[in-house]
Amino acid sequence: MNAAPRPAAAAVIAAFIRRDFLAESSYRLSFVLGALATLANLAIFYFIGELFGGSMARQLEPYGTGYFTYVFTSLAFFGYIGTGAGSYSERLRLEQMQGTLEATLSTPLGMLPFLAAMSAWNFLFATFELLVYALAGVFIFKLDFSAANWPMAALVFALSTACFAALGMLSSCFVVLFKRGNPVAWVLNNFEGLLGGIYFPVAVLPGWLASVSNLLPVTYAVRAFQLAVHKGAGLAELKGDLAVLFIFALVLIPASAWLFSLSVKRARKTGTLGSY
Amino acid sequence: MKFEARGLVKIFPAPVLSGAAPLRALGGLDLKAGPGVLGVEGPNGSGKTTLFKALAGIIETDGGTILADGEAADSERLRELAAYCPSNPRAFYFRLSAAENLRFFGALAGLSAGQALESAGKLAETLELSPADLERRFDRLSEGNMQKVSLIRSFSRRAPLLLLDEPFRGLDADSQQGLLELIRETAKTSVVVVSSHSPELLRAAAYRVLRLEAGRLIGEAI
Repeated sequence: MNAAPRPAAAAVIAAFIRRDFLAESSYRLSFVLGALATLANLAIFYFIGELFGGSMARQLEPYGTGYFTYVFTSLAFFGYIGTGAGSYSERLRLEQMQGTLEATLSTPLGMLPFLAAMSAWNFLFATFELLVYALAGVFIFKLDFSAANWPMAALVFALSTACFAALGMLSSCFVVLFKRGNPVAWVLNNFEGLLGGIYFPVAVLPGWLASVSNLLPVTYAVRAFQLAVHKGAGLAELKGDLAVLFIFALVLIPASAWLFSLSVKRARKTGTLGSY
Repeated sequence: MKFEARGLVKIFPAPVLSGAAPLRALGGLDLKAGPGVLGVEGPNGSGKTTLFKALAGIIETDGGTILADGEAADSERLRELAAYCPSNPRAFYFRLSAAENLRFFGALAGLSAGQALESAGKLAETLELSPADLERRFDRLSEGNMQKVSLIRSFSRRAPLLLLDEPFRGLDADSQQGLLELIRETAKTSVVVVSSHSPELLRAAAYRVLRLEAGRLIGEAI
């Protein structure tokens, strides 16, 4: 008998996607209700836009758009990039509760393929949701994206996704080590909406809060994406935001992958890999 | 292959601020395994599962060395060399069928879908798990059949070191015989370490049985 070969990353990712698809599709009602909730959420912002949209025009001027279009774009964008931030810790917690984490990590599976595979289904589903958003935006809400600089929007999108996936990995370290009690998820869940410019431009915030928002990558990501999509902003206008996102990604990705490996090693040491 | 543990120490720290004392699960354990089947017996809490998890590379020890064919093997290497069947058979995805679970865990061990399913079919026959049960959702299986799926997962890997922690638990008499046959067959090419609270089954499975108490081997039971 020979030692088991390290499984190929693509095979691992495919196996995780298949597993998660089968598990998720077994909860049919949840799937339908989730889709309806997204539509209901959009309708809320549509009517808020109808009611108050005009009074926010000054802060929205830099983006050249109305409130509903602004919040619609943010929600579609953040719905995708936020997947990375939330899904790692959620998936990991689920594995702990099911008792499958130890079984998964008792195989020759490498840490990087595991990280890549763990949220692959979530990203795939988020891509589908993004498509639904895009179709709804164009055909139902008749939004105008004719000014968009799509290559620049794609660059912002890719950098932001990388940043938030890294934050998600960082957040999942706390799940591995402490099971419950996750300060990264707490910040992400409670302050991104308030400070990140998702529901309203950061310019609405008082100065001291706006400076706090500058510490969060979401602020740069949302602003750059809005400007690329609605004003057709190019490299010259977005270079500051892109540089910050690039630095966040450059630091956070290797750091979070390394810290995740360390936290799993620590859990192996304390014998708590199978605990929840 | 041959495996050897020298002076294995495992101390589980007490939860922070709990006031409890750390738990010394393995206290300098020495063991040689292979070729063939090695049995391990001992009372509850004697360190059997900790020993198995250390040999499988699932936990990191606090002292001692594990050697594979004379070479030190760290936990990463051990996860490539060993397949572990836990005493609790519930570490599966309950909403997936047994076959889908085996396909998934097979992929993590480098098996293609075809290899995993072919192997599952053959092993299921020996363990008297019906094709219908293989296709059944995991949470709808009986405890005994869950145990069979857990055994199939570990046997499928065809690993040089197979660690079976309480493998007879929940199995009926015919399935126990099937498992004994499977252990004998596997031991021709792999080192198999088995634990059980049934002295009869352990002696039927293993040529040699070691007794573990308080994290130390206190001698051979045969």
